[in-house]
Amino acid sequence: MEQEAPVGVNEDVGDAKPGFSRIAPAVGPLLVLAPLAALPLFGPGPNTVRLLFVTLTLVTASVGWNLLGGFAGQISFGFAVFYGLGAYTAALSINAGIPPVVSFLMGAAVASVASLLIGLPTFRLKGPYFAIATIGVSEAVRVVMMNVPWTGGASGYRIVEKGRFFQMHHYYTALGLAALAVGISIIVRRSKLGLALTAIREDQDAASDLGVNPFATKLLIHALAAALAGAAGGVYARYAAYIDPDGVFAFRNGIAILLMPIIGGVGTIWGPVIGAFVYGLIHEEVVANFPQAHLLIFGSLLILIILFEPAGVVGLSNKLMRVLGRERKD
Amino acid sequence: MPPILSVDRISKYFAGLAAVKDVTFDVEPGGIYGLIGPNGAGKTTLLSIIAGSLRPTGGAVMFAGNDLTRKRSFGAARAGVVRTHQIPRPFRSLTVLENVEVGLRFGHGSHTSHAPQAAMQLLERVGLANSSRRLSALLSVGDLKRLELARCLAAQPNVLLCDEVCSGLTEAESAQVLDLLCDIRRSGTTILYVEHNLKAIMKVCDRVIVMNYGQKLAEGPPQQVQVDPAVIEAYIGRPTGN
Repeated sequence: MEQEAPVGVNEDVGDAKPGFSRIAPAVGPLLVLAPLAALPLFGPGPNTVRLLFVTLTLVTASVGWNLLGGFAGQISFGFAVFYGLGAYTAALSINAGIPPVVSFLMGAAVASVASLLIGLPTFRLKGPYFAIATIGVSEAVRVVMMNVPWTGGASGYRIVEKGRFFQMHHYYTALGLAALAVGISIIVRRSKLGLALTAIREDQDAASDLGVNPFATKLLIHALAAALAGAAGGVYARYAAYIDPDGVFAFRNGIAILLMPIIGGVGTIWGPVIGAFVYGLIHEEVVANFPQAHLLIFGSLLILIILFEPAGVVGLSNKLMRVLGRERKD
Repeated sequence: MPPILSVDRISKYFAGLAAVKDVTFDVEPGGIYGLIGPNGAGKTTLLSIIAGSLRPTGGAVMFAGNDLTRKRSFGAARAGVVRTHQIPRPFRSLTVLENVEVGLRFGHGSHTSHAPQAAMQLLERVGLANSSRRLSALLSVGDLKRLELARCLAAQPNVLLCDEVCSGLTEAESAQVLDLLCDIRRSGTTILYVEHNLKAIMKVCDRVIVMNYGQKLAEGPPQQVQVDPAVIEAYIGRPTGN
């Protein structure tokens, strides 16, 4: 897996080896994708496939959040809005007879448009004010959706698809989308846009003084991030065949989408992926075993990570690699 | 020769308090203009207004015939007016080279190709080539000042606004930075230089504007300004007569 410098690590960036640096970007995706793509060979049970499916949709949403929160430093608690809008758009489209893939794209498009409407006023705010505004928007949208009659209101909305249900089709759709999300994240990170996002995260005013338009750049990345979250919501909705505002628009979803990159390593390529797998795989166990205390457990986890390892699992593994490298030199 | 930069009756009030009041001056192309004054004179506020970081309460800033007054700082930078900061503000998680690339890719010139090579040439010019792959967070104050200049030069400004680039530097480092400013001027860039250090100003500036209590107090060549009684009074005070 490609070594990444987490935010705030003070170290020299050594000379990359030219041969390895060319193939390095492909190593990580292949190591992750190959076993996941070969999953049917191991004959997993439907519950394992379901768990991995949900985890992969979380990967997509989490990678999307990381584009805005990690790369640009704009902490949003409102990604459940895009996830939910994507889910409802895809659900309505599928019921209208539109092919699923087109429905997912429509979900992504609606989420992107919503992100622009939300971003136009909220990106005039900075730091904690922006974060607080996204909480308000998230709750407002949930309450509105509870009262929209043509999507079933609080009772929810059912998707009726003709034909047999193939769980692996859903699984591969989620896997493909997650791979696309990671690919987009890698491209953004290495692009001119990625440079602008890092500059904005580090010092928005200084970036603007050098010609970066912070407002337009944040709107653009917000739209891209929302599209990924919306598509993830759409893929989830088709699998679940039933969605309701308290499920897809829930504030806890917004927290979960934010928590995953923090667990894995915010602002890195692989942090959100690792975080989504950690969260996705342990979440159900924690909820099942501690139904009254699971939020307390995740909240405590969040505090511990921020206090002791803000760079998450990726930061921890980088530290370990450095220690091992130093020992090898000695 | 028409001025490249015109500051026309610029005022800035903060809650009724005048930080800058009716300041007017022209900057001709190719020179180094000094902007001096005691603490709180309004120099940095005026610089921020010209750079688009602050909106003036009144007045206009014209650059090469275009009105910059309502432009934000990225608009001013893209037009060709770029500022340095008194306290360097590096992008700490980026390397020195990447910091310079931000200016190259988004500034007035907006290079999209060969940015690393062009950035490297600029780092050689300011003497930071050996640190190009270091994280900018690790640089010393002197090197951060030079990085700040390199980043601004990368944006290919027609007018460079320098805010106390020598503050916090040793005498030797200051001399290097002043040589660099002269070199930048020789390459055709006009410089408006805010400085506290009168020695530095007198050494490199073609013309000096003096501010006090937000207003322009005097303007002229350095030799003339430094003997102006109003300027001397602003800097060292009025004799009490005892």
